[in-house]
Amino acid sequence: MSTTQRILPKGVSEADFDAALVRFREILGADSVLTEGDQLAPYTKIMMAGDDKDYIPSAALLPTTTEQVKGIVRTCNEYKVPIWTISTGKNLGYGSAAPGETGQVILDMHRMNQILDVDPEVCTALLEPGVTYQQLYDYIKENDLKLWLDPPAPSAIAGPVGNTLDRGVGYTPYGEHFMFQCGMEVVLANGEVVRTGMGGIENSSSWQVFKWGYGPYIDGLFTQSNYGIVTKMGLWLMPEPPAYRPFVIQYDDLEDIEEIVDVLRPLRIAQIIPNAVVIVHTLWDAGTHVQRKTYYEGSDSIPREAIERIKQDEGVGEWNVYAALYGTPEQIDVNWKIVEQAFGKSGKAKIMYGEEAEKRGGGFEYRAALMRGDMNLQEFGLYNWRGGGGSMWFAPVSQAKGSETKDQTELAQKILGKYGFDYVAEYIVGWRDMHHVIDLLYNREDPEETQRAHDCFAELIDEFAKRGYGLYRTNTEFMEQVAGTFGEPLREVHKTLKNALDPNGILSPGKSGIRS
Amino acid sequence: MKLTRRQLMKNGLLLGASVPLSLGAAWASDVGLADDPAHGSISLFGVDRSTTELGQGLRQQGWTPRYEGRLDPLALNAQPAGTLATGFTDEAGLVLLTSLLAGRGRVLALGRHDAGQHRLLSHRGPIAAPLAVDAGSWQAALGREYARLATASGSARHRQDIRRPYGESVSATELSFLVRL
Repeated sequence: MSTTQRILPKGVSEADFDAALVRFREILGADSVLTEGDQLAPYTKIMMAGDDKDYIPSAALLPTTTEQVKGIVRTCNEYKVPIWTISTGKNLGYGSAAPGETGQVILDMHRMNQILDVDPEVCTALLEPGVTYQQLYDYIKENDLKLWLDPPAPSAIAGPVGNTLDRGVGYTPYGEHFMFQCGMEVVLANGEVVRTGMGGIENSSSWQVFKWGYGPYIDGLFTQSNYGIVTKMGLWLMPEPPAYRPFVIQYDDLEDIEEIVDVLRPLRIAQIIPNAVVIVHTLWDAGTHVQRKTYYEGSDSIPREAIERIKQDEGVGEWNVYAALYGTPEQIDVNWKIVEQAFGKSGKAKIMYGEEAEKRGGGFEYRAALMRGDMNLQEFGLYNWRGGGGSMWFAPVSQAKGSETKDQTELAQKILGKYGFDYVAEYIVGWRDMHHVIDLLYNREDPEETQRAHDCFAELIDEFAKRGYGLYRTNTEFMEQVAGTFGEPLREVHKTLKNALDPNGILSPGKSGIRS
Repeated sequence: MKLTRRQLMKNGLLLGASVPLSLGAAWASDVGLADDPAHGSISLFGVDRSTTELGQGLRQQGWTPRYEGRLDPLALNAQPAGTLATGFTDEAGLVLLTSLLAGRGRVLALGRHDAGQHRLLSHRGPIAAPLAVDAGSWQAALGREYARLATASGSARHRQDIRRPYGESVSATELSFLVRL
């Protein structure tokens, strides 16, 4: 079956779109305006349970300067052309590099990839949106700076700006990325440029060290939103600690999640354990390097018996807690005793570090790398677990309380089981909150299974919301539904802001369910 | 000393580090090849028999496959613009590959080779070959088809599902690709 039909932005005539493309080529040069099918194909690859036809861009633009972005925005306003902004385009499982809806023009910022400043004294960086974690990591190593990054799991290929703007998380003590962001440069929909925080002061030396500036703090308005295009962002980097001790604690029973969280919470709040700890279920821990069909060929949820065999073969627990201590060797020794004592009380925990943890296998090696900010792509192995290219992250937030995690685990397993999917999950432990991250893996090549995954995800959103649990982030297929769970008053405020800042609705329409 | 990826690439230490000699030897003894390579070289990724067969199909159509070992999309991304690459990978590799090509390259064709069928997607117009095995393996037939698509001028998106012969032995789903950086 051949397809040659031209894709146009919604509500834009062919003549107007052609005129806009001419203007884009004048601003960017012809090589930076992509319109051919094989060039746009990478921007159509989605992993969520949506229809491929709903996520095809009409073009992609590749600016290299803020001036070019301003020119693009002005042209879009003139011709009412909607653009969908991506930084490195690695929001895999959340919409990847595809537009929010068919016809939108991709504004791909990956060529704006300058590391503008790294200050090793105050441990800050100022970056363009196309800078990847690998690029920044290389820069730090090549300049022998004693600084650590905090990458998310797709580390090397993702970028700090995009991940922070989508409020992503990592695994070091700097794991809550937006908390460690400081200062932005933003191109607004009218083509004007604003610098947030201290950035409005000409030649300010404190743009990357003082977040709040003067007057209302607005940086949050440009995260998970479509109110502007961030062209520079500051972030804080972690000084390399004198010592580092990653460790793993294994528990064997599903019900143990309650104890784990209740023991962990005071240690996290008091910063005895300072990093974003993960509590990883068997299927995630093994799924990064084991294929499902080795243990079970059925199309329903993997049975308990198979999970027990995986635990035996891989030497992993039902729950596997990956955490680390940072500081001087003396500090680590003191804190280690506190950790051992806290987790040792019930006699259920198997606590390991050093050679014992390394020999254990499972995910220790790559988890240890992530907790020290090293680059690693091991987690992509999850895509081989079930096969077929389908993946959606279902990520509700909870309090760091055992009762809530038990409730969420049971509810998720019940709904996933009803639709025949596996509970491939982990909890990421913040200071007081938890991100319950479930990878709904399915075969996108099978239309029936894709529909089932869609229905399952929709039910997860609704049923979790009924119990008071909202998502911290979601993929483009479900942004509207998730926005609905947060209530109309908040949506009205979002819309009012959108109408004020982007009256023509040209910036990423539909992002987080926000439209003009 | 622990080298960064950039340093490894600068020193040419990363690519081809895991080339199995047995596969190289298999090609060296290939028969039925075109008399003269007509099209130049193409990077070939993968580590099993399917890759060898794919390479054979490419050679028959006048390409010179350059074996690169298991697909490392990061390394592929560091190759010069215009480089043609093909081969087999797994789900994770395909996700990485397509993602890294955004704004950096072209997807000419993708194939998903399941137990029941071959699912081929071309951005270079219709797929001509039925992947029949009367002239060797389906992988070699795919190589010949990818060789043709590599120089085809079509731009239409074309999807074709080809049923595989009943009883054909299939151990696992294989994913093929043809891209230009």
